[in-house]
Amino acid sequence: MSKPRVAIFDFACCEGCQLQIVNLEEEILDLINVVDVVEWREAMSEQSHEFDIAIIEGSITRPEDEKRIEIIRSRCKIMIALGACATIGGVNKMKNKFDLEEVKHCVYGKDAHMPHLETGLTKAVHEVVDVDYKIHGCPIDRKEFASVIRALLLGKRPTVPDYPVCVECKAKENICRYEYNEICLGPIIRAGCGARCPSSSFRCFGCRGYVDNPNVEAAREVMDKYGLTVEDLRQKMVLFGCEQGPTV
Amino acid sequence: MSVSKLSKEQFGQFVDAMLAAGRRVVGVVAKDDRFQFDELKSAAALRLDYDVTILPPKKYVLPQVEPLLQFEVGGGAQSVMNYDPLVLLGVHPYDLIAIRQMDELFSQGEYDRHYMDRRKQITIIACDVVRPSKNIFASSMETAVVSDGYDILITDIGDAYLLDVATEKGHALMTYAKGLAAAASADVEKRQAIQEANRTALNKHKLGCKVSYLPRLMEKAYNHPVWQEKARLCFSCGSCNQVCPTCYCFDVQDQVNWDLKTGERVRCWDGCLLENFATVAGNHNFRKDRSSRFRHRLFRKAKYVPEKIGGQIACVGCGRCITACVADIANPVTVYNRLMEERTLG
Ligand code: SF4
Ligand code: SF4
Ligand code: SF4
Ligand code: SF4
Ligand code: SF4
Repeated sequence: MSKPRVAIFDFACCEGCQLQIVNLEEEILDLINVVDVVEWREAMSEQSHEFDIAIIEGSITRPEDEKRIEIIRSRCKIMIALGACATIGGVNKMKNKFDLEEVKHCVYGKDAHMPHLETGLTKAVHEVVDVDYKIHGCPIDRKEFASVIRALLLGKRPTVPDYPVCVECKAKENICRYEYNEICLGPIIRAGCGARCPSSSFRCFGCRGYVDNPNVEAAREVMDKYGLTVEDLRQKMVLFGCEQGPTV
Repeated sequence: MSVSKLSKEQFGQFVDAMLAAGRRVVGVVAKDDRFQFDELKSAAALRLDYDVTILPPKKYVLPQVEPLLQFEVGGGAQSVMNYDPLVLLGVHPYDLIAIRQMDELFSQGEYDRHYMDRRKQITIIACDVVRPSKNIFASSMETAVVSDGYDILITDIGDAYLLDVATEKGHALMTYAKGLAAAASADVEKRQAIQEANRTALNKHKLGCKVSYLPRLMEKAYNHPVWQEKARLCFSCGSCNQVCPTCYCFDVQDQVNWDLKTGERVRCWDGCLLENFATVAGNHNFRKDRSSRFRHRLFRKAKYVPEKIGGQIACVGCGRCITACVADIANPVTVYNRLMEERTLG
């Protein structure tokens, strides 16, 4: 059996998630043993090129990116969205809260009119094309990345947690942030990171996106019990919670 | 049964002697301003004056993630079963009762060798509560004191610990104790007074009926509005399951190595409040509503498990779920009392 061909593409992002793959260290050799990693530029230059798995990092922010992702989709069998930028639009989605022209001028100043700086609303990859699997997080958890890839190679459906961060947080025996009357998004955000933030005495700020069926209503209502307001909660949602699915 | 005595200093030396001899001892230590069971490095870190631990000692009896077997894809498998001796030090009576319930559940029906083999290697040094936690209601559940089930029971009587050594395993540990004296009758009376006080004092939430009445109370409670009302705010986060000393549900998962040929089967904690706990083949979830999952937990504590273990209620009143529930809906007493008051509504 020939090794599956894997191609990695980046869109609007910080490339931090690719770095996590590099950080697999010795495991990267195990990975290369079982898949054929195709350099992305080559893959794109040769029109007939096809690959089995396309890994997409970053969010879609420009009209030409939409075209590019559609071409990639047409050439791959399996598409994986890698990291918060790709799975939920990530930090980039904050832009959608403002007037786009204003955003452009704020970032690029007098160069804002240049054609290559044309910008649109930030979209997660699945908002443009079909995505088969999502590897969540900002950045991704490399252990999770490795187990998703292994599952796919075995022809199995990778299991991604659909329960809240609290599950992993409790397993680590952290003291809940709410015991100190602090907001934590853990109860509505998807686990899989090992409750990275609460384990360092910091609230979860939602980088893995909502669980499948978040109880946002409850998140709003419980604020009162802790002497907090829904506005406090909204502020905590801004970083990763802009315009994705149900919202507080 | 004879009760013996060690000064606090001698007790510390006893613990350090076990550690020096290479015994693995897990005890209660501080975690910021809370407490947890953890590997003990020296007696100095031990905090037997704790109120409650964040997680119960079940994490050493039924670990969060436990390897069951090594396998080859499409080939054979080999059980993982080598458990080393462990001393579990500082288990409060309610937690001890919870462990004893699990012992019964895992040994009946399909005998669970992984659980039981591990359990047999554990020596439990229980200790009476000196400081009630903010949500404890062990007195209501009749779990505030124990008279059996431990290997050793210790009681803090101020300047010393009284030790009640109950089993062979307990006696074996006493070889590490120096200066052991028989307790004077005045000491034993002090111990009795502490236990008598705990019998009623560990009661921050008061159950409105006898514990033994709970299974009958549940008989008519299935359709009561309280399930919907409470579960409206439920995050399905499972914290109430995880922190509960009597919740023992687990999920079994296979983890495959990079060679794609070998792997390990592990079991890890699961919880009946989680959205997909009851999802079976074909993606059918037979407890899809938050309220049916919320109800299941309290039925399990007060009816389903008692039916399997001679009527013992599977809530020992540790109060951990009350503290852990961000939505503040998990308190079993609030629900049971409500059902008591409105017995006709079910
Ligand atoms: S998800 Fe975070 S780490 Fe990953 S590319 Fe986006 S911004 Fe960077
Ligand atoms: S700290 Fe956050 S993630 Fe952890 S239990 Fe509390 S709410 Fe859940
Ligand atoms: S705790 Fe929350 S913010 Fe932190 S890594 Fe996990 S999902 Fe992301
Ligand atoms: S801890 Fe509270 S919110 Fe979480 S599952 Fe239990 S009852 Fe629901
Ligand atoms: S149901 Fe709550 S109070 Fe009862 S044993 Fe479990 S965690 Fe403790």
